[in-house]
Amino acid sequence: MFYKKLGEQVNGDDPVELVALARRTLRRAFFSAEMGISGANFLVADSGVIAISTNEGNGRLCTSVPRIHVAVTGIEKVIPRLEDLAVLWPVLATSGTGQGITTYSTLIGGPRRPGEADGPEEFHVVLVDNGRSALLADAEQREVLHCIRCGACLNICPVFRNIGGHSYGTTYPGPIGSVLTPHLRGREFQHLSYASSLCGACTSVCPVKINLHHHLLHNRRNTAAAGDTKWTERMAFRLWRYVMQRPRIYALTGWLGKMSLRLLYSMGLAGSVLDPMRAWNRRRSPIPLPAQSFRSRWRKVLGKN
Amino acid sequence: MEKTENQKTENGSRNRILERIRAGLRTSSPELHAGHPGGMIFAPIDNPLERFQQECAANLMECYLTASVDESAGRLAKVLDSLPEGEIFLQDHSALRRLAELIMSARPIRWSSQGAPSEASQATVTLAEALIAQTGSVFVTASCGGRGASAVAPCHIVFATIDQLVPDLQTAFANATRERKLASNSFACVISGSSRTADIEKILVQGAHGPRRLVVIVQS
Repeated sequence: MFYKKLGEQVNGDDPVELVALARRTLRRAFFSAEMGISGANFLVADSGVIAISTNEGNGRLCTSVPRIHVAVTGIEKVIPRLEDLAVLWPVLATSGTGQGITTYSTLIGGPRRPGEADGPEEFHVVLVDNGRSALLADAEQREVLHCIRCGACLNICPVFRNIGGHSYGTTYPGPIGSVLTPHLRGREFQHLSYASSLCGACTSVCPVKINLHHHLLHNRRNTAAAGDTKWTERMAFRLWRYVMQRPRIYALTGWLGKMSLRLLYSMGLAGSVLDPMRAWNRRRSPIPLPAQSFRSRWRKVLGKN
Repeated sequence: MEKTENQKTENGSRNRILERIRAGLRTSSPELHAGHPGGMIFAPIDNPLERFQQECAANLMECYLTASVDESAGRLAKVLDSLPEGEIFLQDHSALRRLAELIMSARPIRWSSQGAPSEASQATVTLAEALIAQTGSVFVTASCGGRGASAVAPCHIVFATIDQLVPDLQTAFANATRERKLASNSFACVISGSSRTADIEKILVQGAHGPRRLVVIVQS
């Protein structure tokens, strides 16, 4: 990235040198920019200020040096009182990076005032709805708006940790992104709710107690209820429900399946197009079929203990 | 440019969004009205000074306790001696003018009444509104030399007195609200260490965009 953007200025890969180079380069941008655009972590109602957390200080320069400061932020960031930050700021930092508090926890309530040494001449706040008020109206899922964007659910998620944030193709990645994005950007992002094992690790670390993996399930249910699934999938689940509600038919289906696979494998057709286990068997030895079914073992051994 | 403080913007989008919010909240949800479970979130702080020093060390700050103005001036002079040649920026306040007289530095001094600190400033020296023991933080507002005074120079030096130390963030914010600090300042910041980043290889580097050093001189 550094070589691509700054070319010959880069001397080695020492992080200290790279940070110093980034500092020199971005200082020129900060001090020559006419306008700085930031987000906001919280909007404090009783004080009329925005709260921005940053460790690097880029948020400080962006909001202090240019002539105009514009903050663009979602409407769900509003909190009632300044004193609420006494809890939310430490919770945000501890859950996100393990710090007691972020290095710069800044409050901005307007442009530079008479008598102040510096600051922008203009200050604007753009409040973004973009589907958030519709989510607020959904009593079942409105708690998703409690999110403080700490990133704890991302750091613990086995999916996010393996595929990274860019794979999601969304502003908000990870579990909270999979829950929230279909509400903000439409049904075409509903597939993200299926990219989860529903292990619940995200819910276990969420500092504001959002039941994230249940919301993934809610999104899946909403997709099915809206008729956004294939007819073959709907038929398969209808059949599955019929069988699961009838133990004898379930047992018969299991026995037929086992006998069919045994016949297929004895004919050397494992991994062929006729094999329902083809996705696994075509590149591997066939999975050995058990001599007894679970029901049979339960009846003979396990149930007696 | 005319100031636009508290200027109200009339636009249809705002009214539509507010109406959608009101309509949405007509449907209650048990989660939103369950109330606070109660109980203590953070343990009470028995010894604020000791805690402040511990947190400062954890935040990679330099914290010096002094017993007199002369000792504070001596400490400030030592810190300034460790910096490269160049201008320093000071908040224009009687306490800092006295310190500046005592240290008798040959460096050019730029006072906050003369404008914002320049990029060439080697250090900025400011006061603070409060010191916060819970997080080892310095609470500053625009009155403490402006916004750039704690962000632009490679070294930020804060001069404070022991009576400014409060145990926790809750107390600092309650005091700020009572004293209308945010009504009289466009900016406030809880600073808890030097500027830093661990974005490259997860290796901590100080001085990303702001000061590489944060020095607090606490006079008893």
